[in-house]
Amino acid sequence: MHIAITLADNKGLESSISSVFARCPFYILIDPKTKIFTIEENPAQNASGGAGVKAAQWMIDKEATAVITGNLGPKAHDVLSSANMPAFKSQGGNIEETLKAYNEKELESFFEPNVDAHSGIQK
Amino acid sequence: MIITVASGKGGTGKTTIATNLAWTISHMQEAEKKSPTWLIDCDVEEPNAALFIHPTFEKEKKVERQLPIINQDQCTGCGVCVDVCEYNALAVAGGKTLFFKELCHACGSCVLNCPEGAIHEISETIGLLQRGSSDLLKFAHGILEIGWSSPTPIIRDLKKWIIPKQPQVNSTYILDASPGTTCPVVESFRGADFALLVTEPTPFGLHDLALVAELIFKEFKIPPGIVINKSGRGDEIIEKFASEKKIPILMRVPLSRDIAEAYARGTLLVDAFPKYKGQFIDLHKKISEMIRERQPKR
Repeated sequence: MHIAITLADNKGLESSISSVFARCPFYILIDPKTKIFTIEENPAQNASGGAGVKAAQWMIDKEATAVITGNLGPKAHDVLSSANMPAFKSQGGNIEETLKAYNEKELESFFEPNVDAHSGIQK
Repeated sequence: MIITVASGKGGTGKTTIATNLAWTISHMQEAEKKSPTWLIDCDVEEPNAALFIHPTFEKEKKVERQLPIINQDQCTGCGVCVDVCEYNALAVAGGKTLFFKELCHACGSCVLNCPEGAIHEISETIGLLQRGSSDLLKFAHGILEIGWSSPTPIIRDLKKWIIPKQPQVNSTYILDASPGTTCPVVESFRGADFALLVTEPTPFGLHDLALVAELIFKEFKIPPGIVINKSGRGDEIIEKFASEKKIPILMRVPLSRDIAEAYARGTLLVDAFPKYKGQFIDLHKKISEMIRERQPKR
């Protein structure tokens, strides 16, 4: 089993976590216990529209069991919650610290979207 | 003759130029002549030309589009529709297919490709077209329904409703496009004979003028001409661009408080300041000549 975390760059376990759900450049798929991971490019990053839907679909197809990100918009939230995939709010810090917080159930869950649609588009 | 008025940047004076040009042309011709002048406001997200033309509308028409409806009982959650949707309007999650109508472009791919026949279409109204006249000028515009985000189908239907496939000789259509250089503007240029580019002498005006000029050069082989609105200070940057790109500057309207006040009252420039009538007649003449020069000689 693995969970998905949104990344701002691709530096293995040293990568920075992105607060952007659908338009971040990379995702890490990582087993929270064994820390075995792969980093993949986000296919939705440059979608002309519906990036949130596409990114959420990608995570479902990758069989992620949970998502950790900073901001989650309404459409992505709809898709993830239909798939019963829990989403958690990142608290800053690196991947190591985030996984620790996740394993100790310290991360806050997204019961509803926290940003409007299009919030991940770079201004 | 179809003239599309565009600018790239918003607020440069497209509507001012389009309304005054259309009004002037319609009043140049003798009333009994059977060659109408139309002003078509293609900025369907924010149509405002009617505020200056004060038309009486005689006909209305709804714009509809086909939206998919998914029969969840028949759907197996195979995801074929998700794969064929270019606009990410569909997702399969928790064994059912979710549809986001605000992302849908009504292309029909999901309906065609569903292996279970679980998707059918229904009509939804997405906008309204209105046509009428004001004195000698014929006028039409489209209004995108609130909550919808795709203006292009409205513009397409609006043009089809007003402009015949073989327009009458001597009839003139002035199309007031929306700001930007995206699909709605491209649709407003389709079939046009001339691109009238309205700009202001600021770095922002120039930046977006360059974008719309590039669109014309790349996608449409029609002659362009520039109108500098709010002219007076900084015209050099536009002049430099125009001479580099060999686009003639056809007219200038000065930056003036009087003009702004007349605009704010919803008055046409040619009514508030009759001296501009001659300038718009001249603009029309220059455009007609440029179109004629472009046409192959017989």
